[in-house]
Amino acid sequence: MKEYKKPLPEIQPWSKKFWEGAKQHKLLIQECRDCGAKIFYPRKVCSECWSPNLFWSEASGKGKIFSYSVTMAGVEDKFVEDLPFVLALVDLEEGVRMMTNIVNCKPDEVSIGMDVEVVFEDVTEDITLPKWRPVTR
Amino acid sequence: MSKGKLAIIGVGEVPTGKYPERRRWDILYDVCMQATRDAGIDKKDIEGVIAVAPQAQPRLTSEISFGKIPEELGLSGCKDVCMCNAGGASTTNCLRLAEQWIESGLAKIVLIPHVTVHSTIPVQDVINFFATAGIDTQWEYPFGATFNGMLAMVAQRYMYETGTTAEEMASTVVALRKWATLDPNSMFYQKPVTLEDVLSSRMVSTPLHSRECNVLADGGGAMLVTSAEMAKDITDTPVYKLGHGGRYDGACNTIRKDFFMREGWQDAARDALNEAGLDKDDIDIFEFYVAYPFNQLIALEAVGITEPGESGKFVMEGHTSPGGKCPCSTIGDACGRGHTGSGVSMANYIECFRQLTGKAGERQVPDCKYILATAAGGSGMNTLMTVWGRDIP
Repeated sequence: MKEYKKPLPEIQPWSKKFWEGAKQHKLLIQECRDCGAKIFYPRKVCSECWSPNLFWSEASGKGKIFSYSVTMAGVEDKFVEDLPFVLALVDLEEGVRMMTNIVNCKPDEVSIGMDVEVVFEDVTEDITLPKWRPVTR
Repeated sequence: MSKGKLAIIGVGEVPTGKYPERRRWDILYDVCMQATRDAGIDKKDIEGVIAVAPQAQPRLTSEISFGKIPEELGLSGCKDVCMCNAGGASTTNCLRLAEQWIESGLAKIVLIPHVTVHSTIPVQDVINFFATAGIDTQWEYPFGATFNGMLAMVAQRYMYETGTTAEEMASTVVALRKWATLDPNSMFYQKPVTLEDVLSSRMVSTPLHSRECNVLADGGGAMLVTSAEMAKDITDTPVYKLGHGGRYDGACNTIRKDFFMREGWQDAARDALNEAGLDKDDIDIFEFYVAYPFNQLIALEAVGITEPGESGKFVMEGHTSPGGKCPCSTIGDACGRGHTGSGVSMANYIECFRQLTGKAGERQVPDCKYILATAAGGSGMNTLMTVWGRDIP
């Protein structure tokens, strides 16, 4: 594997499961057993009710683009080789929103409201980033 | 502190620009001495110093945090010193803390200074700082998020929901630069831009062109504040703080529920105007500090000047420009001033003082009585609104 120079997520103890799931190509969402909240990003306790009684469920991996921007310039050197790339906010079916990249398509094909699905990019031996691509019908 | 208890009595400022030869402490000396002379007080009457936290300048931050300003300036009457950091919202919090120091009797007159010199920070340090300031290192940064990219997504969604055109978005830059053209303390003094200039500039993060993003600048400013009662004895033209409103919107752009911060703006503005006993129609100038020019549109809608989706047309028609019926951001916001880190809101409050004391030169809005000023920190973590007046209504 080519050396990966871009920033890796700074993982917290309570988000470890999310990244372990991503490594197994599963998109995990933290949920609260007490109040039923779906929590993103992961917290130490439920952000709604402070319950420590949390569990993880696998998301469907389907969502819609809430907004996006095609990044053309103005990035750190380590991101330059990726230009242009699509930065996006995706609303998951489960009701949480994640920041990501839209991949496997031309940047000018991306639009708000587009149906997308998760695709896992193994960037290092330990870290996998969940990215999203247009759903092909 | 209730309405009309705090007043600005003097200001000092250096022009923004790129001046690597101008050292940070030179600027601090200059702006603090200017403000003191402007107020016509003796330096020994300054009893407190509450500094705006400089961003991305760790050594300066340490020096200021640990009390060097009063000592350098020989402020022999100084009783306490500290620094406030809330990013772009720092100055507003300095004012808030100054109110408490004054009301509690700790200090009668408080000095609030700011300095930032971006141009001598090693490029890599600037990049490292801004790469993760207000950007989450776990959930945003690994995907190549930048300030431009995150605000571009706000802009994209805003255009999608309201049908605002690229020309209308770009017209905010033209309006702000018209103000900057009239401001001798701006790096863009006498340098207007046209719609064509903005739209033909390089695309940075769709839909934002480079001229719709910010240019970093060096700058510095200082204010002296005191109680309204004492202010009347010191000067014939104090500028009173009449109201304050604030809302926290969330640190992480991705999960911010109030994506456009419209509700935060509305609520904070309502609180500030209520405390002042004023209506938005009483306001002569809206000094929006919204960092990215297009955000002027959202601000206009949130404060209730136009309906959602109508503000682009409003700005394009020139209503917020010099001579318009609704003057907004009369130093041109960060876009017109150059972005001085945590200094833009300082510049805004200094401009409030100038407009309300009739010293705004070519930018002077005739018979200006009341101003609503805004500030925000990070990628939009909060919205702070203050109302200022030349009298207490």
